Amino acid sequence: MGIQEQYRSEAAALLSSGEVKLVIGFGPGSTADRRRPLFARTPEEAEKLVLDPACISNLTTYLVAGGLLSDGKKVAIFLKPDGIRSLNILVSECQVKPEQVVIFGYAIENNEIRPLSGRSIGDFAEIGSKIRTATPPPAVQKEAERLEAMSPAERFEFWKEQFSKCIKCYACRQACPMCYCRRCIVDVNQPQWVSTSSHTLGNFEWNLVRAFHLAGRCAACGACDRACPVNIPLRLINYRMGKEVKEAFDYHAGESSDQKPVLASFSQDDPETFIL
Amino acid sequence: MAKIGVFVCHCGENIASMVDTATLVRKISEHPGVEVCTEYKYFCSDPGQETVKRAIRENNLTGVVVAACSPRMHETTFRKACAEAGLNPYMLEMANIREHCSWVHSDKEKATEKAIEITRSLVEKVKRNNDLKPISVPVTRRALVIGGGIAGIQAALDIAGAGREVILVEREPSIGGHMSQLSETFPTLDCSQCILTPRMVEAIQHPNIKVLTYSEVESVDGYIGNFKVKIRKKARYVDINKCTGCGDCIQKCPVKKIPSEFECGLGNRTAIYTPFAQAVPNVPVIDTTRCTYFKNGKCKICQKTCQIENCIDFEMQDTFEEYEIGAIVVATGFQIQDTSLYGEYGYGKYKDVITGLSFERLASASGPTSGKILRPSDGKEPETIVFIQCAGSRDPSKGVKYCSKICCMYTAKHAMLFAHKNHHGRSQIFYMDIRAAGKGYDEFTRRAIEEDGAEYLRGRVSKLYEENGKLIVRGVDSLLGKPVEVAADMVVLATAIVPQPDAKETAKKIGIGYDEYGFYNEAHLKLRPVETATAGIYLCGACQSPKDIPDSVAQASAAAAKVIGLFSREQLEREPVVAGVNDATCAGCQGCIMACPYNAIDVRDINDRNGNLIKQVADVNPGLCQGCGTCVTFCRSNSIDLAGFTEKQIFAEVMAL
Ligand SMILES: Cc1cc2nc3c(=O)[nH]c(=O)nc-3n(C[C@H](O)[C@H](O)[C@H](O)COP(=O)(O)OP(=O)(O)OC[C@H]3O[C@@H](n4cnc5c(N)ncnc54)[C@H](O)[C@@H]3O)c2cc1C
Ligand code: SF4
Ligand code: SF4
Ligand code: SF4
Ligand code: SF4
Repeated sequence: MGIQEQYRSEAAALLSSGEVKLVIGFGPGSTADRRRPLFARTPEEAEKLVLDPACISNLTTYLVAGGLLSDGKKVAIFLKPDGIRSLNILVSECQVKPEQVVIFGYAIENNEIRPLSGRSIGDFAEIGSKIRTATPPPAVQKEAERLEAMSPAERFEFWKEQFSKCIKCYACRQACPMCYCRRCIVDVNQPQWVSTSSHTLGNFEWNLVRAFHLAGRCAACGACDRACPVNIPLRLINYRMGKEVKEAFDYHAGESSDQKPVLASFSQDDPETFIL
Repeated sequence: MAKIGVFVCHCGENIASMVDTATLVRKISEHPGVEVCTEYKYFCSDPGQETVKRAIRENNLTGVVVAACSPRMHETTFRKACAEAGLNPYMLEMANIREHCSWVHSDKEKATEKAIEITRSLVEKVKRNNDLKPISVPVTRRALVIGGGIAGIQAALDIAGAGREVILVEREPSIGGHMSQLSETFPTLDCSQCILTPRMVEAIQHPNIKVLTYSEVESVDGYIGNFKVKIRKKARYVDINKCTGCGDCIQKCPVKKIPSEFECGLGNRTAIYTPFAQAVPNVPVIDTTRCTYFKNGKCKICQKTCQIENCIDFEMQDTFEEYEIGAIVVATGFQIQDTSLYGEYGYGKYKDVITGLSFERLASASGPTSGKILRPSDGKEPETIVFIQCAGSRDPSKGVKYCSKICCMYTAKHAMLFAHKNHHGRSQIFYMDIRAAGKGYDEFTRRAIEEDGAEYLRGRVSKLYEENGKLIVRGVDSLLGKPVEVAADMVVLATAIVPQPDAKETAKKIGIGYDEYGFYNEAHLKLRPVETATAGIYLCGACQSPKDIPDSVAQASAAAAKVIGLFSREQLEREPVVAGVNDATCAGCQGCIMACPYNAIDVRDINDRNGNLIKQVADVNPGLCQGCGTCVTFCRSNSIDLAGFTEKQIFAEVMAL
């Protein structure tokens, strides 16, 4: 039995026994190389689940949508390593209780699916810790280096041009599992911190706010980057913020679920006396 | 409609000489919403305040801006004036055109422009101010004092003397702290025990003081006026209520060769012991790590010796007590640095290289040598003693950066005591500077030199080694610029004063801050030296910084005065500048909970009518919140706001610039 079939039948069993109320996985998409999220609530629906190398999106976003987990019931979800790291972050930010999630883990290697053993978040500790030694995809690394070699003025020009394309559709935010806020700061209009129109200033404000809000919280799943309809290279911003946090605090977002959010926590040993 | 009154103060010449106040008044009068705008030489004076009050009444003002000095200076003054005129005191804003403007500029035209902007931005802010009411919290009038050294004892006695209950917690078997180890004390050379013991006895007998020795604070919860403190009473194995302090058990205990901590290892103690003869309470404890029974399951000789039934109980367990506490005084004192890190001084290698504290024990009439200065190695009387000051202090590379403050004085004292006890003795003191500021202090060190023949050599010691039974001390006399070598019989190191080894853990438990070394932080070094940044928690003694007895006692009485002041009221009025959460938008990420340095935020469940959980949100306890704003800056979705400094107010303020 292939991995897809194995996960299908396991998912169906979980649903029919009532162990989980929902399975979040992938179903067929509009074209052969696209997959769409599939929400299975019955064993029959679970039969439609698909698992192949086209299943690249990070489904954790759906875990934090609309109070899904507030009833305390369990949900099963298909996750690759980046999704598992996102889940770690969501747990550390109290958005998900680990015991409520059953994980169907998989990795895509050389265009093939490999199952990851374990069903609960505690079983995947190794995936989290691997992030310390992981290197970004060569393409991102190369682009990032090119940007870093630029003078500040050149870099500013680069981003000005990129951000000028932004239409403030907020697709990046909707795709991001960490943008689970009930009301995003851009939707605050009393006072209006971030200007609503998509002119240069407003676009800068929005994209910088987003960058800062994801510093130390981004699992580099690439969802925002893929979502952006005008192809702003958001991965480069996330990469840079991740690097800052690594260098300043030796912090790797998503390393484990009991990690303390880096920008919310402070150490009592901190020699700075500015707060206490 | 906003009706704002703006009052531009000249502050004598302080503001008027650099800001064209007439222009400022003219410009601000034109600003929308400004009803009256006037200037005056000193608004903080009585007639000045009268002007403000009259303007409020006559114009029905809805808000007031005083363009003058910093809020620290006169905010309270003008808040009071507003309240007296019937306006909510929080409808006042200070526009700081002195410290932020006139004092720091030299171009009058530009300074005037800046003053206009500052004032205008505060006018915009005050338009969005809301009436706020002080928060009142009840006060439990019982104090906790942590640490039973001289500082803690003094604080406890003062608070108890004012008629308030005190719980005094000391982790050692006896109260007394370091002072009980000292021989005679500078600058008057009175016997330390003789002045300390009466205080210790007074504390334990005081009807308002409950002394808990051999006890430690487990946890501190709550906030000013309303702390909940859990205390662990460690098992003594001796019933404190039954023991008469006869000491028979101590006499009979077969384990006799335990180096006594109190005697700095110069004397021995038994496994069941009191640290020193005058211990208060005079009730022994059993050291389970040394007791034969606890090690091998056999012995119990002490129990057989004890005349009182069930007084010694090997089954005793740690017990816990909980107290409601209104204020906490931290007086956990200091330790001396381990000087073995200085290889060049040979501490730990040569028996006759000792610390100043050991010297205190040698010089003490109740000490291991009955007050005779004798070498630990062979018990002979030393002829020449070398004292090394700053052994660890003022040494950023290996020791500590700071000056330990008391060593100059106690070294002079040691030289004097030595001279009094051994008339042929020579004291040679290596020093960097002599720091003897204090009442009678310089006279004291002078006396050591002039009357008791202390020889001061300015310079650092570079090497110390043993040769023919002598300790050869090599250094440089930096005044003569020549190397010196002294053959000594004994060497005394003035070791650095450092925080207690567990000072940081204790601070975390209590919820106060500390500096890079672990000394506790005061709220303001100059203006609030005995308060911590956490309301209701005060400091005294050497846990804050190295201190001698007079300073420790003075600070203890100051801390007690703060506590007594707090306890003079049944209710406590707190500034209403506290954070509040918007339940509707809070995402429950709990980041603010972690970020709050005062542990003021908790989680609250939001349930539907049937009691089902909808979500969890952050919840600020206004009694604990200090209004620091850390949570506000953290919250990504801006779901938390600070009363008096709301986002709307700040935004308006910024946009007016
Ligand atoms: C060698 C030497 C000589 C000195 N000579 C003089 C002198 O001649 N004249 C002079 O004025 N000063 C002198 N001093 C300084 C004097 O010892 C101090 O000023 C004084 O002891 C400070 O008192 P304190 O109560 O702050 O601290 P301490 O005396 O250290 O008392 C602190 C107490 O708190 C207890 N404690 C600590 N942590 C906890 C905890 N977590 N829970 C419960 N209890 C705790 C400790 O057991 C201790 O009993 C000398 C000091 C030294 C080292
Ligand atoms: S951008 Fe910031 S405020 Fe908006 S949803 Fe994302 S994290 Fe929340
Ligand atoms: S997805 Fe792209 S265009 Fe849309 S808001 Fe984000 S950056 Fe702007
Ligand atoms: S930081 Fe903001 S969203 Fe998060 S718990 Fe606190 S108030 Fe709620
Ligand atoms: S304002 Fe400061 S003290 Fe108050 S809840 Fe926020 S972080 Fe805590």
